[in-house]
Amino acid sequence: MAQAILKNIADGDKGAVQECLKTYGGLVWSLARRMLRNSDDAEDAVQEIFLDVWKNAARFDPAQSSETTFIAMIARRRLIDRIRFSQRRITTDSLEDVLAEPVDRSDKAMQISLEAGEAAKALESLRPEQRQVLNLSIVQGMSHQEISDATGMPLGTVKTHARRGILQAREFLGLGDSNSTKEVSV
Amino acid sequence: MDDKNEIMLDLLCKQAVYGLTAEETKQLALLDTSGYDADSFEMTAAAIGQLDLKIERMPDHLFAKLMADADEHWAKNYSFDKAESDVCGTPQRKIIEIAETKTRGSFMDWFGWAVAAAACIALAVNIYSTRSQPLEIVKDNPTPTPTQVEKLDPQQQRLQLMNSPEVVKADFGKGNVKEMAEVSGDVVWSPEKQAGYMRLKGLPKNDTAKQTYQLWIFDSSQSEKTPIDGGTFDINSDGEVIVPIDAKLRAMTPAAFAVTIEKAGGVVVSDRGKIAALAAVKPNQS
Repeated sequence: MAQAILKNIADGDKGAVQECLKTYGGLVWSLARRMLRNSDDAEDAVQEIFLDVWKNAARFDPAQSSETTFIAMIARRRLIDRIRFSQRRITTDSLEDVLAEPVDRSDKAMQISLEAGEAAKALESLRPEQRQVLNLSIVQGMSHQEISDATGMPLGTVKTHARRGILQAREFLGLGDSNSTKEVSV
Repeated sequence: MDDKNEIMLDLLCKQAVYGLTAEETKQLALLDTSGYDADSFEMTAAAIGQLDLKIERMPDHLFAKLMADADEHWAKNYSFDKAESDVCGTPQRKIIEIAETKTRGSFMDWFGWAVAAAACIALAVNIYSTRSQPLEIVKDNPTPTPTQVEKLDPQQQRLQLMNSPEVVKADFGKGNVKEMAEVSGDVVWSPEKQAGYMRLKGLPKNDTAKQTYQLWIFDSSQSEKTPIDGGTFDINSDGEVIVPIDAKLRAMTPAAFAVTIEKAGGVVVSDRGKIAALAAVKPNQS
């Protein structure tokens, strides 16, 4: 039933709003809290994100992704915008914690959406450096430069790992046309 | 792969992982990304971004803000038809004097204001609303059985709850529906247990295909524009009924409880045009 929420919203059914918030509110709130690391900013961001969700509900294609991942995508766009605008950067104090975070993932964490479970497998299929860069950038919200500083990898290498990692993960997840973007891993 | 494709892939990957600068966004807009399903890059990052995410419950006040945001968005973006405008002007939708109801002064101030301000807009918005929660129907049994607790019947549960410390109690009186002037009863709510019961007498049976009763809890944590939805219920028997409250958000300090008549299935935001019963919490009742 969850897959019908965005369609109902796109159809102008305001009754679906409460269901949408109950189903995905925790996801968006948690993403905002993790990426912005500030509750006040997160609250503002969540309001903007759900406004985007109402506006973009008609674009949701169930053949392409789950509602969870579609909403997570909208959330990330808005959160990245806010981070770029505010130039928020991860603090030095928390950097060690971020780098020390374990790679192991519990089953519970992987069950947020089907794609998240597949994404975990996709990450496991990558080279360790690519996996580390994607984890630090996407999951922890660090910039190219921050990852370079934190890991000692040259900036160009970080960019290359990010690019190759995301392309391979995309292919693993079966999203998009892999033939046009396939690269040789080095 | 030519240079343009390389640049485009770079930008799509960067957009998904880190976001783009304004300059890069312009650059990407000038490229033909039609063969690449540009969203798929961001969806990949979104799927990865869910890993290790500890889902936290959204704060109640933020939930309420989002509901209010949705009201505004729907009001701006979905047009109203003539029928709805006409309904706005009918006497039933006008503000009805509720001074006879025993209420606190402050409650009357904001409640009256809220009715006036919200009536037309919220009514129009509500036409487009359907409830996401299943309709709670009172069957032949005049005391609906809550699903949460099966051992005791609602009457016993109500009595048990009344013995709990710090419960909030209030007496129901008539609302603004002339035909329902004989409504009486009371409500008991436990902020600690987040559970409560209404005991109501004098509410007429409703045509479940067209209408339902719906409870609203006016809590100090919420804007008066967005009281907490206390659940829908139907009346299909005469006499006294005990209805469990199904609050959708936490209600810690309720100031008032209102039972409205809504379309079948209930609404997200009530226009408060038909208030069947009203209970204001007096200081010595909490």
